[in-house]
Parts: sequence; structure tokens; C-alpha cells
Amino acid sequence: MPLNSAIVNQHLDQALSSPLFRNAERQSRFLRFVVDAALQTPEATIKEFDIGVAVYGRRSDYDPRTDPIVRVEAARLRARLREYYEVTPPERVRIDIPKGHYVPVFIQVGSGPPAQTPSDLSILVPPFRSLSTDPSDQNFCDGLTEEVVHKLAQDHRLRVITQSAAAWLEQGDGTRPHYLLEASVRRAGAEIRLTLHLTELTGMGSTYFSNIYQATVTDIFATQEKLAEEIRGDLSAALHMSKTGSSDMQ
Amino acid sequence: MVRQSADMDSITIRHLRESIALLPAGDPGPAHEFYRRLFELAPEVRSLFKPEIGPQAKKFSDMLGWVIANLEHPDELQSQMRALGARHKGYGVQTDQYAPVGSALIWMFQRTLGDRFTPEMEEAWLEAYAFLSLEAERGSREGPPQS
Repeated sequence: MPLNSAIVNQHLDQALSSPLFRNAERQSRFLRFVVDAALQTPEATIKEFDIGVAVYGRRSDYDPRTDPIVRVEAARLRARLREYYEVTPPERVRIDIPKGHYVPVFIQVGSGPPAQTPSDLSILVPPFRSLSTDPSDQNFCDGLTEEVVHKLAQDHRLRVITQSAAAWLEQGDGTRPHYLLEASVRRAGAEIRLTLHLTELTGMGSTYFSNIYQATVTDIFATQEKLAEEIRGDLSAALHMSKTGSSDMQ
Repeated sequence: MVRQSADMDSITIRHLRESIALLPAGDPGPAHEFYRRLFELAPEVRSLFKPEIGPQAKKFSDMLGWVIANLEHPDELQSQMRALGARHKGYGVQTDQYAPVGSALIWMFQRTLGDRFTPEMEEAWLEAYAFLSLEAERGSREGPPQS
């Protein structure tokens, strides 16, 4: 059965009645607020300001830049959800709030299509593109690509293909990888902005996951490592969703 | 018992250490600023502390130093935070009161360091505080760790 609001709400009620949430009244309200918003308007964005006002009683002139209550609580809520699912593995749906966002995703588990075995997952990673004309920026992208490939390859569930997309398609051996990971990088001074897309190649070719990452480059290697680790974490979570089933409500 | 992983990578640890190193050494000002902000955000917790906040501010500064010194020892952090949480329960601390503490902590860095407190440093402290505060909550629920 595909996910629907009733299944998500039933799961939410169950989670909120657990010991981990029972005494955490504000965190429970935070979770219910973002789940309700996502169910009512799936394409909506949820702002830090809105949560501050609706859940934490902040006034309409409150400035999230100087009052980090929502960011503090979002980090705690993500950790609480992780802990909850360690204690109580979900049976039908799992709620995640990806880092950097307040919109939850609902991941169907258990009753989806037959799970792929981990080694079935293959991902094609062409070199990340620099959108500037400075050759050093492409060097940064190449180094970052290497770092991401290195981290992904440590996950035994994944087969990472590093040749260029064009070379892969020309090869035409009939074995299409499951996913294509593409990223482009823009740079303004020390600030970089990376836009990442994970495209599902075996289905409709739709974007399966995307995110924007920002960083201030003070140490090139450290920045590459940190970005690569963030990307690895996000992809690991996204691909784990695939392994356990698919959602029609993300 | 399920353990919560600290999961702090080397970059996060570096940001935590760099931010602490930027605080003026031996200056009790930031810790006093932390408590001033905490009591502003959660006036109900003021009665949990003695009227003279100086000694408590010193304890808070020492605790930050202890956290930094033990970032590579999550078992030690976990054990001590659970013990702290168990003591907090005895003082009547509620789960929701960990939120203003975290908020005051970030605010202390913002106020003291200004632009030198980078978004990466804030992210590192959010992650660290989530781990530490949830361990304290667990101590409050389950009691101190058995030695």
C-alpha cells in the first residue's frame, strides 16, 4: 500500500507517545508542525521563522540570525529521531528531517517493492563541473570528485563508476547504472556553492535527490573533505531509502 | 541500551576547538553572558542556581574545556553527561529546558566572537550540543550509568 496521510499520522502518534518524545513537549510540537505542513502542502517550504513563531512562541519581529532556538532544536530533533528509530525500527514509514532543511521526508519501509540487494546499487559519478573560467576551480572540483568517490566507495553497498557519463553511455553494454550523481560548483571569493543532483536512471530518469551545499574555503583539503562527508551522509540516507522501498510523498 | 553515536568528524572537532580557542582565555565574561542570556530565555530556571552566579560561571567554563578535551572520547562524554542528566532530574530540570541552554550557548559565541564565529563553527556546536543534551536527557530518564 502506498504511503498516505493516515499512515504517516498513525506513525507520528506512535512516535510521540514513546518515552523519548513523551516528556519533550516542544520537540513533539516541532515534529508535528513540520509533518502537518508537509502533508498539507507537499511542495511547501518550511521556514525557520515560522517554526520559531508557531512552536517556540517567538514574536513576529524575532530574528532567527540572533536567536538560534529553532536550529538548536532541529539538531536535537534529528538526533532524537535517530535514537527513536534505533530503539523502535519503523514498520511502515520512517520520518526524516534532512540536515539543512525543515521539510520532513516520509520513507516507506517494509511493504515496498522487493528491496534491491546492497551490491545491486550502482552509481555513476562524472567529474563535478566548475561553472567559472578559472582553471583552479576545476582543480578544486576534480579533487572534490575524488574525495566523494573515495568516501562512497567505502560503502560496500555501492558500486561506484567513475568514468565520464559520455564514455559510459558510448560503451553501451546494456547495463545502465541505477543512479547518476552530478554536481556543479560556483565560486565567489572564498565562498563556494555546490548544487548536487542524484538522478534515477533505471526509472523515469527523474531527480531522486538534490541539495545545495555552501562552504567557505579556508583550507582546500579540509573543505573538500567536509563537503564530501556531507554529501556521503546525504547520499547514504537517500540510497538507504531506495534499498528499503520507495515513497510517493517526498 | 542503545548508544547514541557522537559521530563527530575531524572537521567538526576542529571547528569546536577553534571556536573555544578564540574565546578570551581566563575571561569569565562569556560564561556570564551565557547565564544572562539563559535567564532571559528561561527565567524559570534562575531559581535553580545560587544568587551569586560567579562560581557557576566558572564551572560552566571548566565544563566547556572538559568537553573540548574529551571530543575524541565519546564514551567519557556520554558517561558524564548521563550522570549530569541524572543530577538535573533531582533539581527538577525539564526536557524542554535543554533548548534555551543550547540557544544561550550559541548566543554566547555569537556575542563574544562576532563574525569570527563562522556558520561551520555554529553547525559544529549544534551537533555537539544535540549529542550532549540527549545523553543528559537519557541520564534523566534512566539514571546514571552503572560503573
